[in-house]
Amino acid sequence: MNVLRSELLKLVSVRTTWFLLGGMLVVEGLYAGLVASLLSEEQLRGRDVSELLVGTPLITVFVFTLGALLSTNEFRHRTADSTFIITPQRERVVAAKLLVGALAGIVFALEFIAINAGLGLSILSNRDVPVDGDTAVDIYTGVAVGMVLACVFGVGLGAVLRNQVVTVVAGLAVFFVLRGVALLLGDAGTYFPAESLAGLQGAVGEDFLLSQVTGGLVFGAYCVVFAIAGMVLTRTREIS
Amino acid sequence: MPEIVIERLTKRYGETLAVDELSFTVDGGHVTGFLGPNGAGKSTTLRAVLGLIRPTSGRALVLDRPFHRLSDPARTVGASLDAADVHPGRSGRGHLRTLAAAAGIPFSRVDEVLAMVELTPARDRRVKGYSMGMRQRLALAGALLGDPRILLLDEPANGLDPQGMRWLRDILGSLAREGRAVLVSSHVLAEVEQTVDEVVVIGDGRLVAQGPLNDIVGGEERPVRVRTPHPDALRAVLEADGAGVATDDRDEVLLVHHCTLERVGTLAAEHGLAIFELTREAQTLEDRFLELTGEGGNVR
Repeated sequence: MNVLRSELLKLVSVRTTWFLLGGMLVVEGLYAGLVASLLSEEQLRGRDVSELLVGTPLITVFVFTLGALLSTNEFRHRTADSTFIITPQRERVVAAKLLVGALAGIVFALEFIAINAGLGLSILSNRDVPVDGDTAVDIYTGVAVGMVLACVFGVGLGAVLRNQVVTVVAGLAVFFVLRGVALLLGDAGTYFPAESLAGLQGAVGEDFLLSQVTGGLVFGAYCVVFAIAGMVLTRTREIS
Repeated sequence: MPEIVIERLTKRYGETLAVDELSFTVDGGHVTGFLGPNGAGKSTTLRAVLGLIRPTSGRALVLDRPFHRLSDPARTVGASLDAADVHPGRSGRGHLRTLAAAAGIPFSRVDEVLAMVELTPARDRRVKGYSMGMRQRLALAGALLGDPRILLLDEPANGLDPQGMRWLRDILGSLAREGRAVLVSSHVLAEVEQTVDEVVVIGDGRLVAQGPLNDIVGGEERPVRVRTPHPDALRAVLEADGAGVATDDRDEVLLVHHCTLERVGTLAAEHGLAIFELTREAQTLEDRFLELTGEGGNVR
């Protein structure tokens, strides 16, 4: 519990966290507002809220980055020394970071939904574009779970790679570059991290993706693999 | 039982032998200087003690057990390995609170240690605005958070001005007088000479010397320096008494071996020979260190 409290303090005591949260709100507000306002009614009808979520991949990068910073800040600023001197059971530190990453993901997801649904759905309502409530709940749930998992994925990948720049670049490669490769691989490509996450989040216009549940399970498996790898490597590596 | 025991500690990085069969102990109630030139293996040894790296062979024990087996490490060992190891975006107080929270230490203690290191006025400023001296104080505050019985400080004098040096000397001395074991590494010997009372000297990863500072510097073996207008007469008297006498560059200065200050003064008085100066020839820790490690700082 002490380690968890410490990791929460680390998260909220640096400005980067709040800049990422603020940046996400601004970007998401612009996306939802512009899409709901500018697209034609024909484009919006029949797609429920999916069209509002075109900015989700970019927002996912925000939460992934936050998770990556949770792990890699220890090595970038060399605070790992004091962290692991106070808590020599290093796997507990990584576990606490994963949990804090999940909590941060929940907060970011709630903010995201509040902006996206609050702004986008009110504009759609004013334009008399119908939205199916059940579908909207499914999609927003998938987006929220995906954001939480993306943050956890960032924590795990950061614990494995340690270097902050390398981790963020690797994340961008996973979420954007590898998506291109995945498209070339057909069905097998839908099991790639970014593709499975897109399936979970109900990506717009990509019906070939995995279902939300399957996508969530596959991306969740990636998170578990990196989380375990991060804990094992952090426990066995030397801090020098 | 010594607070810290290093037994035949060896650490090898590939072809590089950082620490080579190093053995020494650290007791409570002393400030022990852990001295050696850059690259001698001081930081590697401290990291091995703190469980941050694994020895290739040998062991490093704190209170007779490996560091990771301590039941309450933060209240047993306080350590500062590098004053720069702080997130620059946090305040000094915020940084210490993250450490206190991890150790289950109440936040009121954070304000106490900030006051101890005289950082209270700057506690809410972000660390990126701290001077090196302030960062050293913050690092020491972090080490003191758990009120530990053992302190390990790696180069704590780096970046301190003369006032800061005096402050560090005073606070380390008072901590040792409370019975704590304080191990201070440094490669700047003049900075620690007035701070430490025990010394461990290493070079190229090997133990060169360990013992009380006075023994290492060789206080009683140093010659007595006498300045007199009657050097020939005094020399004769001293040599007749069994002392060995050499002359300094200046004719009126004698360097007297195998004789106490008191005996030289008594003999001079008995023979009516005036003395203008009578003192034990000083040898600095730096002089002795260079003797032990060679001019280049290497033992091999």
